[in-house]
Amino acid sequence: MNTAVARAGQEGPLLTVEGLAISHGAVPITTSLSIVVERGETIAIVGESGSGKSLTARAIAGILPPGINAAGAVTLDGMPLMRLAERELRKIRGFRVSMLMQDPFTMLNPLLRSGDHIDEMLRGRPDFASRAARAAEVKRRLAEVGIVDEDVARRMPFQLSGGMCQRVALAAALARDPELLIADEPSTALDVTTQAEIIRLLRRVQRERHMSLILITHNLRLAFSTCERIYVLYAGSLLEVGDGAAVERQPFHPYTLGLLLSEPPADIRVPRLVAIRGSVPRAADVIDRCGFADRCDWAKQICRASKPPLAARDASRFTACVRQDEIQGELDALRTAALSAAPITLRRDETEGPLVRVDALVKTFVGPRGRAIRAVKDVSLRIMPGESVGLVGESGSGKTTLGRCLVGLETPTAGDIRINGLAAADFGAMAKADRARVRQTIQMIFQDPYSTLNPRHSVGQALSEALGASAGATGPATPERIATLLAEVGLSAAYATRRPASLSGGERQRVAIARALAVKPAILVCDEPVSALDVSVQAQVLNLFKRLQAEHGLSYLFITHDLAVVRQIAERIYVLYLGEIVEEGPTERVIGDPKHPYTRRLIESIPRSANQDAP
Amino acid sequence: MKGSSVVVFVMRRFAVAIPLLLIISFGVFALVHIAPGDPVRSLLGARASDPATLAAIRERYHLNDPLLVQYFKWLSQVVQGDLGVSIQGNRAVTSTIADRLPVTVFLSLMSTVLVLGVGIALGAVAAFRRGTRLDRAVVMFGVVGISSPAFVTGIFLLYVFGSLLHWFPIFGPGTGFLDRAWHLTLPALALAISVMAIVVKITRAAMIEELDRDYVTFARARGLSSRRIAFAYVLRNALIPVVTAAGLIVVGIVAGAIYVEVTFSLPGLGALTVDAVQKRDIPTIQGTTLLFSVFVVLVNLAIDVIYTLIDPRIRFGRVES
Amino acid sequence: MSAPAIAETRKTKLPRHLPIVILIAALIITVVVICAVFGEGIAPYSPFLQRLGVGDTPPSAAHIAGTDLLGRDVLSRVIYGARTALVGPVVVATGAFAIATLLGLLSGYLGGLVDSAIMRWVDFMVALPGPLVAIVVVGVVGGGYWTAVFVLVVLFTAPDTRIVRSAVLEQRPLPYIDAARTLGISKARILFVHILPNVLPIILAYVVLDFAFALVNLAGLSFLGLGVEPGTPDWGRMLFENRNILFSNPVALLLPAAMIILTAVSMNLIGDWLFERIAK
Repeated sequence: MNTAVARAGQEGPLLTVEGLAISHGAVPITTSLSIVVERGETIAIVGESGSGKSLTARAIAGILPPGINAAGAVTLDGMPLMRLAERELRKIRGFRVSMLMQDPFTMLNPLLRSGDHIDEMLRGRPDFASRAARAAEVKRRLAEVGIVDEDVARRMPFQLSGGMCQRVALAAALARDPELLIADEPSTALDVTTQAEIIRLLRRVQRERHMSLILITHNLRLAFSTCERIYVLYAGSLLEVGDGAAVERQPFHPYTLGLLLSEPPADIRVPRLVAIRGSVPRAADVIDRCGFADRCDWAKQICRASKPPLAARDASRFTACVRQDEIQGELDALRTAALSAAPITLRRDETEGPLVRVDALVKTFVGPRGRAIRAVKDVSLRIMPGESVGLVGESGSGKTTLGRCLVGLETPTAGDIRINGLAAADFGAMAKADRARVRQTIQMIFQDPYSTLNPRHSVGQALSEALGASAGATGPATPERIATLLAEVGLSAAYATRRPASLSGGERQRVAIARALAVKPAILVCDEPVSALDVSVQAQVLNLFKRLQAEHGLSYLFITHDLAVVRQIAERIYVLYLGEIVEEGPTERVIGDPKHPYTRRLIESIPRSANQDAP
Repeated sequence: MKGSSVVVFVMRRFAVAIPLLLIISFGVFALVHIAPGDPVRSLLGARASDPATLAAIRERYHLNDPLLVQYFKWLSQVVQGDLGVSIQGNRAVTSTIADRLPVTVFLSLMSTVLVLGVGIALGAVAAFRRGTRLDRAVVMFGVVGISSPAFVTGIFLLYVFGSLLHWFPIFGPGTGFLDRAWHLTLPALALAISVMAIVVKITRAAMIEELDRDYVTFARARGLSSRRIAFAYVLRNALIPVVTAAGLIVVGIVAGAIYVEVTFSLPGLGALTVDAVQKRDIPTIQGTTLLFSVFVVLVNLAIDVIYTLIDPRIRFGRVES
Repeated sequence: MSAPAIAETRKTKLPRHLPIVILIAALIITVVVICAVFGEGIAPYSPFLQRLGVGDTPPSAAHIAGTDLLGRDVLSRVIYGARTALVGPVVVATGAFAIATLLGLLSGYLGGLVDSAIMRWVDFMVALPGPLVAIVVVGVVGGGYWTAVFVLVVLFTAPDTRIVRSAVLEQRPLPYIDAARTLGISKARILFVHILPNVLPIILAYVVLDFAFALVNLAGLSFLGLGVEPGTPDWGRMLFENRNILFSNPVALLLPAAMIILTAVSMNLIGDWLFERIAK
């Protein structure tokens, strides 16, 4: 009987999820998800923040946080996982289903050596009863994930880099040879070049072991390049399911199309990104209608009447769009238009003097125990009036430090900064009037939209302070001036009374831009201004940057790790690596024909799908 | 490399502790001058104030010297074990302290065992059963414990177990180990409850924080046994903040012991201190205060060292700013 | 469409936001405050009226909580005792945090020499066994209640400064501060208009917790005969004066003891609750 069931199971799919509904108390997080994973198959669950993708992963593994409940059925090889007791589940986790999480620095126990994370998984198995046997196995397992340095097993997690931690964690997750690995954003917290390595490693391991893989990600491009089937999750509901290549070629749901289009292409510069308006709703607010209806150009009454179910459109394709038949023609047209968008190139006459001139800049920090950390070593750059310059680098490249030096948040150790001809290397040493003029010239936009505004001040207070109390104060702040500023960034005057807590990430970033514009600067230093935003919102903000540049002749120093983003906004790029500029030139030239090996590695690490590789 | 960073860390702590001890000792020395009135009178006490005695006291406490000289002479005497003479009964302070010390040590050790054993266990159980009735009861116990000073708890314990139920003796320190433990049970409990509440609170908070950590989730996702997760992951990491709070615990026990000894009329160092304060017996106050303070500073130093040994992030030389 | 729905759920959730325990705690504090303000109107007897012939008696119809050794009405003394139980702790908690807020803001935001000087002092104060210092200083210097209050302010300021400083350090690296600096907003404005409002809720929660701790400490000093002047109606002092009548009239000890615990528990509950609300 049992063997019969097991054999029958061997033939069916490895994992079936049916009607999975996750909720926090009475608040729904996902509604009735169904997912199938075949043996040896890789699937991706793609979703923006708040889609419920991570909790779906944890529900499958049976490790939801306290207070979060799941209903429905998760069946692994015929076994109903959600009806098993915790002690039964423990025999399945690790051995049959294992999981890898996002943040490599918090996933390992800080008090255990990295090798012990693998060692502890092996204990209790008769073949690894002896310490020596386990040590040999730990070595073998680390080699599988590409760690050959034997010393790594003896090191503490905090002594390892993010990529190393992620490799050790993967080895630990695989130590009991599971049939299914759930990887929840395994590369998101890593640097771009490391990201590509970890994804390659995951795919290699998956193929070698003929293991099933569920990749949870927000990155559609990554999903297409890594997985066979794609599940698009939005505000707790699946909107589209299908083979990766097919979905990419011809999306059946307006949201999938929107995501595809708002993802900035790395290979061409488009005049304007196609953005999805508004922001992601909470699952609980769209429980009785299509979750995407409020942001959809094709939404009709029927979309808001009830929640459209996921329906089959052909053998392997499902969409939750009830109007798919009617609008598919329009969707296809948009997709084709985007693929054949005429690239634009910009040329600038370099007749005027530079707006920003940085010469031989050095910034050294005092690290632990007095050790000097050289964040920026001998960097020189120029930004012309009206020019948009990209500064590309990974974490630790010194790109943020450089930006902070320009606006006086850090004082360089050596070197010269001239802004509009004024010496601005040391803000403390400048005359008050000069300092005010520099502040009126250069302002900064920060990465984290959630703390870029003072939570205790309303939007109106934030803007009126910038208008009236800053060094570049241009006169008393009137409601009209505040309304004008808000309109500049595409927000209505009613936003003045709102508190930051009631704004979405994109709205906060718009307010931050309005605040910087209050002093009418000539240049904005933008430090990863869209990297914390959802892709659908990121395009809106990038378009805003483009519009402001066109309307006001604004210059940008656009600091980012994302070549696709910089492709859309910058005319010229500096590539920063370990505190030094390794390559410089017009954007098309640097991305199209990189000279420095590091730039080449950066460009190679952009995920590319089969469709993109094909001519 | 590893060894040297620990040594450097410990040396740095010592470098902080020594000036601290000097400042404390100066404060203790200065008590004679802070007390209202002539220091000679303060030190004279009930003795007849004939010129010869006054001169002897001036000589004994170097009161004719400049202040700093007085201090260093006093300090060198203290280092040699001479804490002066009590104004009551003309007895050396050191021998009075030696008489009183055993009761206080016994009481403190007994409560410390209770505080750490019961406190950590309660905090851990509450964290693992977060949100349940048991957890809420433990949290409430913590709040009541922190709000109940040892002397108030002591009065209730005396009344209920000593006066109403007659389960425990209500007077005296007892003789011999078992009898003493028997006599000191109520005082140790009174002393333990308020300090235990701190330990419960910290342990519970630290454990809950650990339970929410990614590495605990990751450990569960890999199917590690719940016992392995509870001990190697949660408890081990949670104990670091508990060790950091040990300073609070020591101060709580030392200060609590003073109140408990008075409440239960036990002949310990705390009762001696209070008695001396009430009679303004400056040399005795100096002696006991110095002893208590040095003890607290040294224990804190020891805790710092233990802390470096159990937290690998410091042991391996990454000192967070 | 969703706005009214949100407002509705908020309204129905209100009772859960104010748990019953907190309501009871607030009620207890209100009663204590009423006793402190309107003591004369409530107390059945003068707290100082001695009737030596009566001596200590257990509760009776005339004296609900009995009398103490000097024949004074215990209940009246407990009601009057609310004054010293409130005034001192309020002064200690607000005084210590007023100083600590200033020092913490300066130390946390300015850093450098100011920071290390303040923190050196804090480290020193925190290393001292505080309650012992209070006993010795109040005992040796004399001066009773207000000396005790002053000493506690000094002792509490150090750990409170540390709390404020770490709250400031949490805010300081946030981009909204960087944005204000980039705009050239003055340091004073950044400190008081930007940082202070963000650390104030934490300070408020700690002021409430400090009150409870100060109450316990002041009562302790009075219990040792060091706080209030002899004869003053004060809960701690009553434990000191009545310690020998635990068997003839236990209420004379148990009632003030219970008041100390109830008041402190209430304040601790309110403080913890405020703290949790901020953390969310």
